[in-house]
Amino acid sequence: MIAAGGNGRSPGARTLLSVEGLVRHFGGVRAVDGASFTIEEGTISALIGPNGSGKTTTVNLIAGALRPQAGRVAFDGVDIAGRLPHQVAGHRLIRTFQISREFAAMTVLENLMVSPLHQSGERLWNVLFRPGRYRAEERAHLEQALAVLDEFGLYAKRDDYAGNLSGGQKRLLELARAVMAEPRLLLLDEPMAGINPALTDRVAEHVLRLRDAGVTFLLVEHNLEIVERICDHVVVLALGSTLATGTMAELRQDEAVVRAYLTGGGA
Amino acid sequence: MNLFFLALGFGVVTASVLALASVGLSLQFGVTNFVNFAYGAYLAFGMFFTYTLDVTAHVPFWLAAVVATLLTGLVSVVVDRLVIEPFVRRRTSPFFLLIVTFGLQLVLLNVIQAVWGVGFESFTTGTGTPLHLGPFSITGDQLGIVVLAVVAMVLVHLLLTRTTLGKSMRAMSDDSSLAKVSGIDTGRVTMWTWFVSGCLAGLGGITLALNTVSFQAYTGNTFLFVIFAAVILGGIGQIYGAMLGALCIGLAVELSGLWIPGAYKLDVAFGVLVLALLLRPQGLIATVGKA
Amino acid sequence: MSVVLGYVATLGVYFCIYNIFAFGLNIQFGYAGILDFTVITFMAIGGYIAGVAVLPPEQRGTEIFYVLGWNLPWPIALLLGMVAAGLLGFLIGLVALRRLRSDYLAIVTLASGTIVYDVINNYNKLFDGAAGLVGVPQPYTSVFGVNPNTYTWYFLAVSAVIMLVCWYVANRIYSSPLGRTMRAIREDMDVAEAFGKDAFRVRMLAMVIGCMFVGLGGVLTIAYVSALSPAGWTTGETFVIWAALIVGGKANNWGAVVGSFLVAVLFNEATRFLPAIPGSPNLVSDIRNMCIGGMVIVTLWFRPQGVVPERKARFPQLPVRGATTPVSVAVGATGGAGSAG
Repeated sequence: MIAAGGNGRSPGARTLLSVEGLVRHFGGVRAVDGASFTIEEGTISALIGPNGSGKTTTVNLIAGALRPQAGRVAFDGVDIAGRLPHQVAGHRLIRTFQISREFAAMTVLENLMVSPLHQSGERLWNVLFRPGRYRAEERAHLEQALAVLDEFGLYAKRDDYAGNLSGGQKRLLELARAVMAEPRLLLLDEPMAGINPALTDRVAEHVLRLRDAGVTFLLVEHNLEIVERICDHVVVLALGSTLATGTMAELRQDEAVVRAYLTGGGA
Repeated sequence: MNLFFLALGFGVVTASVLALASVGLSLQFGVTNFVNFAYGAYLAFGMFFTYTLDVTAHVPFWLAAVVATLLTGLVSVVVDRLVIEPFVRRRTSPFFLLIVTFGLQLVLLNVIQAVWGVGFESFTTGTGTPLHLGPFSITGDQLGIVVLAVVAMVLVHLLLTRTTLGKSMRAMSDDSSLAKVSGIDTGRVTMWTWFVSGCLAGLGGITLALNTVSFQAYTGNTFLFVIFAAVILGGIGQIYGAMLGALCIGLAVELSGLWIPGAYKLDVAFGVLVLALLLRPQGLIATVGKA
Repeated sequence: MSVVLGYVATLGVYFCIYNIFAFGLNIQFGYAGILDFTVITFMAIGGYIAGVAVLPPEQRGTEIFYVLGWNLPWPIALLLGMVAAGLLGFLIGLVALRRLRSDYLAIVTLASGTIVYDVINNYNKLFDGAAGLVGVPQPYTSVFGVNPNTYTWYFLAVSAVIMLVCWYVANRIYSSPLGRTMRAIREDMDVAEAFGKDAFRVRMLAMVIGCMFVGLGGVLTIAYVSALSPAGWTTGETFVIWAALIVGGKANNWGAVVGSFLVAVLFNEATRFLPAIPGSPNLVSDIRNMCIGGMVIVTLWFRPQGVVPERKARFPQLPVRGATTPVSVAVGATGGAGSAG
């Protein structure tokens, strides 16, 4: 087991997310059972572990889709455990889902326009009586959305229905849509699942580019090669609790990690 | 005290009617994973098939009831095959299937009105004189309803636990894609589910008509929200939950009659429904992942 | 001739009223994906409340009972009716719009409608029970005169103005960020919440606004017909509005207009004048209801998007900041009929 003190790249980095003793049981199944880890600001972290180790449940607990039965989730010093999904997102902690879930009957551009948080045009009073209040904001969002679409190579598709995109394009749309929300922390649940290697590289490039722009990442990922390539820091879950943390290189030396992956169980 | 036992007796009778109808609805919901809003019309089919056989064709009542039950099951299967299955096969979302069954409700109820008219009818059985069983006082018909419901519940239990068909229904109810992968002929199971659900609706309708004495096309439909209350209280898709929910609602409805005017006693079921949704939307009997 | 014209004006009034109903349901269902299976209940509440607000206090000894009886001017009664319908929608929404499956939502609306119907029908102290309100004064008869032929035209003008206001508000909401968020929640509630949208608040807004629209339609109905009884707002009536929206095209207010015209005016009104079949006085109405139910099912099968499908969102053309590719492509979103439904 690697000591908890050995994590993170730069010792002086600020902790953005800290998860302590998270617990969630379903009936008799201990899906998450005391998981603890921290994420430093400006890093890319990976959450790995064998199937059933509680990765997606952990993401759901952090994002508020599930209520933890015990434990603390602190985002930038604020305890967000047990808050509702939209409240968590309001802190600019944005998550994506394991399978692409685009707003199918809306255009690609509209999918992005939904994202910005706290839009003043979402208030009925403004809509009916003060449309001037949000017109400028709407225009700024539109410019930003077009720029993001351009970056993700989806500009030409902007007026297509999102449901008509290819699988790979939907993956890119998920990421582009999340970027539109100007997240501080992006929780990506298997962003590379089911896409071809070329696209995997593109998604990886986007993640690296966004990290350099100041976004912090937590990825649930099976592809260890990608994890090794882009992640600064890795958290290994087994049976719902943290088995080890460290860099990929450090973890390769860790017997417990290797055994967990090989046998599908814990030590 | 006498009034209390009287109401308790009626409560058990109402619970029996409700159990028949609720189990049918819940079974179909569990297997197909959408609510059938036309279910109230199936109750009416049960009533009116019995009526035609009993009153018009002079068939003995019990035989009329048996045939009507089977016929209602048949109607349920035919409607499913003709209207609902095509939408399911096209992968229409459950959301739109609800609208389809809602539309079916209007169509079927008006078919019933067109065939049997809008007036109130009753069976030839008559009301009968009350029997006194200890502190209880119920009619022979009502006693029959209770016995019938108990027998039907035991049969449903045996169906679900002892037969391949029933086990397949439970498997589909738990996880339909897994059931398909494990080699269950989901199409056949679905068809039988609609049949059993229709039969139970028919029985529910016949017993409801016996209990209320006179009935018309919309009698079953106005009872629909009481059935929903029992099903939701028990946990939607949960067969034994539906039985328990029916018992709770049946007793609550009739016992409340001790304090509030009879015209509003069914509204108590609505109160229970709201409370259930606010406090325990997963139902009394909850299972993992089926909320 | 004036009889025919009067009839045309009457149809015009119904057309306006059904448009308002359909806009209301469109905001709930078309925009926000709320299955409101008791639309007509909100029409009834709006109508009743406006009715008892304009009626004089109930007379002792007439055996006609109703609440309020405030003798209020019509515009205030109109507002009261809308607010009452919105309030009922809010209460139902409190139970139905929590994070529950859409079947629960449909069940709660349907059950609530049954209860409201039961109470109003049985408890005659509210709106005179099964007999219903009669003799509700028509608005502005002192200005427009009481001649039914000319009055109808004036009333048509009033309804048309109100309908156009509703049209404007409904479209304003649709094209605003609020409407966009409603549609996002309709498409996928979990994802919308993951983007910080308070689905409960937004759906509640859609529910209440929709109910107020429908309530407003109810106010106009009772003002025009000057009577309303439980026989006039059965489940079948809810379905006329659903059919109008589904056939016309959900999530598009033009669809609501086309559907109101086709289903609520052309089909529903035209068949009212078919002669009753001797011996079965209800057969015509039974068959009409079957057709309305059937129409919805058939539309969902052959043309689920309706006659006038939802339009693609249009955005102003802007150059891309720091674009790598010149923006020369003419945008295809000129409002054409998208086929993805």
